[in-house]
Amino acid sequence: MSGSIEVRGLSRTFHTTVRRPGFLGGVRSLVNPERVAKEAVCDISFDVAPGELLALLGPNGAGKSTTIKMLTGILTPTAGEARVAGVVPYEERERNARNIGAVFGQRTQLWWDLPVRESFSILRDIYEVPKAEHAARLKEFDELLALSSFWDTRVRHLSLGQRVRSDMAAALLHDPPVVFLDEPTIGMDVVVKEQVREFLRHQVEERGRTVLLTTHDMTEVERLAERVVLINHGRLVLDGTLDEIRRKFGSTWQVRATLADPHTPVEPLPGITLLRREGPQVVFGPDGPTAPTVHQALKQVIERYEVTDIALDEAELEDVMRAAYVQSEVRVEDRAGGA
Amino acid sequence: MAVLSAWRVARVTPLGELHTPPRMTAALLRLTVQIVLVASLWRGLYHATGTTAGLDRDQAVTYAVLAVLASRVRELDQYSGRDTVLQHMHFGTIVYWYLRPLPPQRYYALRALGEQVYGFAWALAGYAVCLAAGVVRPPGSAAVAGVFALSLLLGQLVMYYVMLVIDQLCFWTLRNGAAIMILIFAQNLLSGVYAPLWFFPDWFITLSAFLPFQATLSVPLSLYVGRIPLSDAGFQLAVQAGWVVVLALFTRLLWRRAARRVISQGG
Repeated sequence: MSGSIEVRGLSRTFHTTVRRPGFLGGVRSLVNPERVAKEAVCDISFDVAPGELLALLGPNGAGKSTTIKMLTGILTPTAGEARVAGVVPYEERERNARNIGAVFGQRTQLWWDLPVRESFSILRDIYEVPKAEHAARLKEFDELLALSSFWDTRVRHLSLGQRVRSDMAAALLHDPPVVFLDEPTIGMDVVVKEQVREFLRHQVEERGRTVLLTTHDMTEVERLAERVVLINHGRLVLDGTLDEIRRKFGSTWQVRATLADPHTPVEPLPGITLLRREGPQVVFGPDGPTAPTVHQALKQVIERYEVTDIALDEAELEDVMRAAYVQSEVRVEDRAGGA
Repeated sequence: MAVLSAWRVARVTPLGELHTPPRMTAALLRLTVQIVLVASLWRGLYHATGTTAGLDRDQAVTYAVLAVLASRVRELDQYSGRDTVLQHMHFGTIVYWYLRPLPPQRYYALRALGEQVYGFAWALAGYAVCLAAGVVRPPGSAAVAGVFALSLLLGQLVMYYVMLVIDQLCFWTLRNGAAIMILIFAQNLLSGVYAPLWFFPDWFITLSAFLPFQATLSVPLSLYVGRIPLSDAGFQLAVQAGWVVVLALFTRLLWRRAARRVISQGG
C-alpha cells in the first residue's frame, strides 16, 4: 500500500463567539452573540512521498495541529481535499484509521490503570493484528525503545519518557504506512529524545513508513527531516529541503563578535539583525532578502563596533527558522495592510 | 470486523480494578457497611408498624438491600482510571476514540458491557451472602425469579442508556460535573435506590412514571419482592422495553451529533 499524503487547497475556518468586555458587554453577548470566523488553515497544498519524513513547522497557532487533525480524519476541512494512502481521511475515517498511526504530544492513548502490555493487547484486538505478527513487532519495538523494562508497569506509574515510548509503539503496532506525530518529544530529556529519533529513523529507512512530524525542536528537524513545510497564520510559507531553506532565508552565516566594551548598546545594522547577546558576545545574522553578503556584513560590524574577537559560522537551524517566521509575519502583515 | 475481535475492550475497567486491590477492598467494605446500615435502618423503621406503602418489613429490607447491590453494577471507579468521557474530553484523549477502526459508540458499549458483567458478579456474590444470612428473602416463585431476571436485564439496558446520555453531555459541556451529580442524584432518587418509590407521594410516583429512571431498578425490585404482582409484569416489561428503544434511538442521534461536534472542533 502506498503511504503517500496529498494535500490540495486544504482550508479550515473555525467559528467562535466573541465575548464583549464588561458586564453590559457580557449581557449583550448573551442576547446577541457576536460570531467571528477564524481561518486556522488556508489553502495549503503539499505532498509527502511514500517513505519520506516531512517536518511540518511553524510557530504556535500556525495551523500545524489543525492540518494534522484534518489528515487523520478527526477534523473536516472547509475547503480543499486530502488523501492519505489513497483514502480521503474525513470521509472514510474507519478505513483511514487502519492506514495511520498517530501520537499527539503528551496525550496518551494508553489505558491509565492497565500495564502497558495490556494496552498493546487491546490495540492488537481493535486493529485485528494476528498474534504472531503482533509478537514480532513488539520484539522489534522493544529492541529499539527498550520497552520490556517497564511494559508490565501500569501506565499511571510510567515516567513521561517511558509513556511517550509506549505511545510511539502503540501507534505503530498495527503496521500503518503513514504516521502522524504532533510534537511527540515535547518535555522529554535528551537521552529519550535521541532514542525516539533513532526509532523514527528506523521506521522511515527500514520500514518505509511515511512520517509527518510537527515539532519546535530544531535539532530533531535537522536529525530527521530532509524536507520541511513551513506554515504561519494558516498559510504555507515554504516547502523545501533544509538546504533550500538556509539559502532562501540567507541564513547561511552568522557573525559572532566579542565587543571591547560589554556595555555598548547594540542595534541592528542595515540588512543585519541581532540574533543573540550574552554580555560582550553578540551574534548577528542576515535580515530579509536585502541582507548583505557575509563579507559585507563582517565589514559593517567591524566598522560600527569596536570588537576584540570576531568569527563566522553557519547559522543554527533555530535561527534560520526564526528568520523564516519573522519574514512570514512581515508578509502576512503586508497582505493585511494591502487589503 | 473490529467489533468482534475487540472483545478485550470489555475487560478494561474490571482489569483496572483487579490491578488495584485497595480499590476492591474499599468497594467491599463500602458495600458491606451500606448493606448493614440499610438493613438496620429499614428494620428500625418497621419496628412499630406492619405494612407501609404496600410493603411489609421483609419486603422493604429485601428491596433496599437489593437496591444497594444493584447499584454496584455500574459504580466502578472510572474516574481514578482517567477513563470517563469527561476526562477524555478534558485531556483531549477523546481524539483516539475517533482514530481507531472501532467506532466510539461500539467501544463505549463494549466497555460498559464489561463493567456491567463485572459489577453483576459482585452483586450476585453479595446476593448469595445476603440470602444465606437471611438478610434478603428469596423470590416468591420460579416465575417471579424469571420475570425479575428479564426485568433486571431490561433495567440494566435502560441504566446503560441513561449513563450514556449523561456521558454524551460531555461532548457539549466540557465542565458538567454539577450536571452529572444532579443527574446521578435524580437517577438514584427516581429509580428507588434511596428508598422504594412506593413511599413517595402520589404526584411523585406519577411524575416518575414519565421518566426512565424507575425502569432501571424500581420495576425489577418491585417485581422481586412482590409489590408489583406477576399479572402486571407484562405491562411493566413492555414499558421497560419501550424505554430501551426510545433511549437507544436518542443516544444514536447524540452519537452522530457528538461525532459532528468532534470533527468540527477537532477533538
